Amino acid sequence: MEGDCHYNSGNFRARKRVEQAQEILNTIGISGERAQMYNLSSSEGPLFAQIAREMTEKIRKLGPNPIKTALKKAA
Amino acid sequence: MIVASKKPIEEVIENIKDYDKILLLGCNECVTVCEAGGKKEVGILASTLRMYFLNQGKDMKIDERTLERQCDQEYLDEIRDMADQYDAILSLACGVGVQFTAEQYFSLPVYPGVNTCFLGATEERGLWTERCQACGQCILAYTGGICPVSRCAKRILNGPCGGSSDGKCEISKELACAWQLIVERLKALDRLDDYEKLFPLKDWSSDRAGGPRKVIREDVQQ
Repeated sequence: MEGDCHYNSGNFRARKRVEQAQEILNTIGISGERAQMYNLSSSEGPLFAQIAREMTEKIRKLGPNPIKTALKKAA
Repeated sequence: MIVASKKPIEEVIENIKDYDKILLLGCNECVTVCEAGGKKEVGILASTLRMYFLNQGKDMKIDERTLERQCDQEYLDEIRDMADQYDAILSLACGVGVQFTAEQYFSLPVYPGVNTCFLGATEERGLWTERCQACGQCILAYTGGICPVSRCAKRILNGPCGGSSDGKCEISKELACAWQLIVERLKALDRLDDYEKLFPLKDWSSDRAGGPRKVIREDVQQ
């Protein structure tokens, strides 16, 4: 969980970087929600599966990569 | 070092949106240290711009290159052979680098990607503060290594003004009074008699107020 990282501060720096990436994506008109960070350990298999399902659902709702659509339109 | 900060992406996009082939040029010196224009920032900005323009249906060619410095001709010469492939250069160097690149590549538009802020140092990662205003007549020998020209809001030279209160400057409670810092330092160095010496009128002609400046060393000129 957050703060339990074996490397102590790595997870906090990662969170800041993910937030940065989300901000950049939002600024350029691509949804920042497509990048998310979750905290869990390598032994939490079921939780990982649940997060994967959650994320898949979220992305399906957001729709396909807008860049793909835009390129198709331009072509 | 020269401290700079990234320009807002919207401003950068506005400047380069009409070009088809851009060279994104970073600098390995000051802007790398203040995390505004080094190789990493070049990579992130290039990705961001590619994604933005692809999203607009435009496949812009955005190439990345980071030079050792952009204030020396020998490094700018490294891109001489490839420069004609591009419509414009987006330089993440400080104002000096952007201008020098523009001079060396006269027929290519050169745009800045960072705002150049001041001469300063890293107090801690993510915090850079101003220390020097390049006045051209360094008086740090007499002020215990603390500069009243850059750190005193009024740039006064003979002790604190009446606004100094609890060691803070009157313009902001977060700003230390430079003269308080100087006196404390001189005390620690047991040189308070330096503080008693009156400063003569400073020669400000070497400051920017006297016009654009230059330094000439005839002994090293070729």
